[in-house]
Amino acid sequence: MEHSFVLPNSGHTYDAKASKLGMWLFLYTELLLFGGLFIVYMVYRSLNPDAFLMASLNLNVWMGTVNTVVLLTSSMTVAMSITAIQLGNSKLSLKLLLITVFAAVVFLVIKYFEWGAKIEHGLWPGMEHFGSLSHGEQLYFYLYFFMTGLHGLHVIVGMIFIVVVMNKIKKGSINKDKNQLLENSGLYWHLVDLIWIYLFPLFYLIH
Amino acid sequence: MSNNKLTTDHHDDAPHITSYVEHFGTWISLILLTFMTVFISVFGADLNTLTVATALFIASVKALVVAYYFMHLKYDPKLYKIMMLVVMALFMVFLIMLTIDYLTR
Repeated sequence: MEHSFVLPNSGHTYDAKASKLGMWLFLYTELLLFGGLFIVYMVYRSLNPDAFLMASLNLNVWMGTVNTVVLLTSSMTVAMSITAIQLGNSKLSLKLLLITVFAAVVFLVIKYFEWGAKIEHGLWPGMEHFGSLSHGEQLYFYLYFFMTGLHGLHVIVGMIFIVVVMNKIKKGSINKDKNQLLENSGLYWHLVDLIWIYLFPLFYLIH
Repeated sequence: MSNNKLTTDHHDDAPHITSYVEHFGTWISLILLTFMTVFISVFGADLNTLTVATALFIASVKALVVAYYFMHLKYDPKLYKIMMLVVMALFMVFLIMLTIDYLTR
């Protein structure tokens, strides 16, 4: 063969634009997943406004506020880590990602104590005290545990994603020129933050 | 800006790099909005229904700030913004359909 036709992408499978678009497509489906849950919340809250208010008083506003600040801060550090790697500073990028993972752990620990307190008070669906609540309050706690639980699952997945990315940065396979995977993990992390931004006022700040 | 992107095959997609300062500024504004929404909710409890609307409004402003600056939508190709609008429109359709359903029972 004299002339070999070379595809634009042959030899490597890295395609930043396609990768980013794929990530965004996934994030759009995530938005609709949580969007559906928010609609369920809206309907049940409008049907049981007083019960939702009563039930929300069981939540600790300050723990929720601290968790909001923790997530917002971690969103900033992951965004900065992208800036760092684009400027060629892998070490700083790794440090910022480590802070992000640490913030994720802090978030989950606070969540653990919050859930623990609820379960101690018998508010987990099926427990004795839960059974004595009004229908509307039960709906609130079903939604609270399901939505914050699903969100917590996303925090765990995002954490694992970022740890994988950190390993790749250490190995050098994510670097100044090839960093779409880091950007994707950042996008995912921001989505986790974005959803919390709505969960926080809807569950903690009912007054 | 010139239109002959095809001739500059390696330089046309030089990434836009957001500065550390800009990320920090975004963070500051998000924190301020968070304290604002907590403050209104905890200390302005007598405003009642108004607080739900303000809380959702502030949350939406925060979400926009996150999407626009942290998620880089501001500097990305329009495609992502358009698709976000499509998703939002789809969400509104669900919402309106369900609301009509409940209101006409």
